[in-house]
Amino acid sequence: MDIIINYGPYLLISGCVFGFFMAWGIGANDVANAMGTSVGARALTLSQAILVACIFEFAGAYLAGGEVTSTIRKGIIDPSLLADTPELLVFGMLASLLAAGSWLLIASYNGWPVSTTHSIVGAIVGFAAVGISVDAVSWDKVISIVSSWIVSPLMAGTISFLIFRTVQHLILNTDDPFRNAKKYVPAYMFLVGFVISMVTLLKGLKHVGLDLNFTESLQYSILIGVAIALLGSLLLKRVKNISQQRGDVTFDGVERVFAVLMIFTACAMAFAHGSNDVANAVGPLAAIVSVVQSGGEIASKSTMPWWILLVGGIGIIAGLAMLGYKVIETIGKNITELTPSRGFAAELAAATTVVLASGTGLPISTTHTLVGAVLGVGLARGLSAIDLNVVGRIFLSWLVTLPVGAGLSIIFFFMMKGIFS
Amino acid sequence: MDRISDLITKSPFGPIQKHMEKANESAAELMTFLESVVNMDWDRATQSRKKIVDLEHDADALKAEARGLVPKSIFLSVPREDVLELVKRADEIPNTIKGISGLMIGRRMEIPSEISVTFMQFAAEAAEICKVASNATNQIDELFQFAFGGNAAEEMQKLIRQLDSLEDRCDETEIILRTQLFDIEKDLPPINVMFLYSVINKIGELADIAEQIGHRISLIASR
Repeated sequence: MDIIINYGPYLLISGCVFGFFMAWGIGANDVANAMGTSVGARALTLSQAILVACIFEFAGAYLAGGEVTSTIRKGIIDPSLLADTPELLVFGMLASLLAAGSWLLIASYNGWPVSTTHSIVGAIVGFAAVGISVDAVSWDKVISIVSSWIVSPLMAGTISFLIFRTVQHLILNTDDPFRNAKKYVPAYMFLVGFVISMVTLLKGLKHVGLDLNFTESLQYSILIGVAIALLGSLLLKRVKNISQQRGDVTFDGVERVFAVLMIFTACAMAFAHGSNDVANAVGPLAAIVSVVQSGGEIASKSTMPWWILLVGGIGIIAGLAMLGYKVIETIGKNITELTPSRGFAAELAAATTVVLASGTGLPISTTHTLVGAVLGVGLARGLSAIDLNVVGRIFLSWLVTLPVGAGLSIIFFFMMKGIFS
Repeated sequence: MDRISDLITKSPFGPIQKHMEKANESAAELMTFLESVVNMDWDRATQSRKKIVDLEHDADALKAEARGLVPKSIFLSVPREDVLELVKRADEIPNTIKGISGLMIGRRMEIPSEISVTFMQFAAEAAEICKVASNATNQIDELFQFAFGGNAAEEMQKLIRQLDSLEDRCDETEIILRTQLFDIEKDLPPINVMFLYSVINKIGELADIAEQIGHRISLIASR
């Protein structure tokens, strides 16, 4: 108790700094995969992608980032065991941020495959199980999180497979693909707007003063979907059926229609990414803040101050603006095979899956979900070649990231405990 | 960090198409070569022969590139055997042409004037088949873009049918050519006649290979 009262402001500031740094890292590194697909498909230029990412990552983090943040903050650890020693929770969360942050730094420097989500979850489970007690971990929740890591790529893959099949059936395999593209693409646009807003509204926007029940959410979502489809139709009017050269890729009319659609799925992807990944940075921060502000009380009932999501959102944008654009550019240059008709299917499937996970408070890896979605398009014969080594590396990253994240956070945890006692 | 760009790899069809284009260029050069031989312009024939050898080298490099893009770890949207078989067949075209030109220039072979017109027609028809096979290979891109259906698939089947009818015509010309050669063979030096038959065989092979390429593509194109 004394530690919290005596050192409260310092702990709070360290938490903010580490959390911001973590968010910065997500912006610098993680966002690239979500946006790189759109740049690679030449649906967005690099600067357009940055703009979209800034706006929608922030919106996603602020509007829909609450559930996952709450899971990271108090879902993985059972706080009731820590009622007498709240400082341990603060140390642990600081240690987790440090552990995940430094591990990500080392791994990205060496080009090893890691996931932000897995690092932070591993770190929190690690310090709680070893530093406090094995019972302090809500293993049920951990199991549901880990299974969501398996389910999310599979789900995204299935959705993208089905979406691309409908594209083949309704548009590509017809006598006049261009005309049919113009006819059906607005329906996909509706889907983008509807799914994203439905999940976000259902989950609740109380913190921005919007409290809707199911029917209202449904009505608003349909309205938003229709509005987006109308906006899209207006944009589509300008697309003529002529081939056009962009970079080293020739776009014929059909792909140009899909490129318009991909602007919308890119926004959805950025929104989804922000809504899920912001928690990796600010979830631990939220735990620290709630303990410190209540003067050492572990108040799991108290609501989270929303400025925390703001810190995360701003951190992501800062990282994106400082380093992220370079990574997006690199990725975009290396994806030449993914055309808009494929890219949109992958993005829509991944965004849907990620937003659903965000709504249910499950921290998942956006990158792995997107990998699953791209595989789905590949299985529907939408891509000529896919490197399955990447899938193997994902499993490897699981095996490595979880113990390393846990080990590091245990070390940092005991160091901090030693310093303050 | 896992990069999504590591997942989506370069399509092997780019190098395969370039490879096939080399094969086509090689077939076109064979025509120049044969014209020079018929006119007994050995300087020009030597130049042509050099070009054919260079094209064969280029084709080898492209073959290696194409094969390098389809290791076991790559999931392909079309059967791997079909792709590898396509590469193998496509590589036989420049090789066969190199063989024909080597044989003819080495022996300073003369084409008897009685058969030269039919001979050139036969060779031109074989070269035409190579060209259509190359067109079909280029069409694979379209096929992918439209996900193996619709107009692109129809366009492809049209090319394959064209290939078949060209091959039939080429076979008929070969029969006429053989008959013409048979009629005059007793008046020619026997060894020369033997090698003339061998060249005719090889040109016939060329047409066969190109037709088989078409069939491989048609397998790739069918679901």
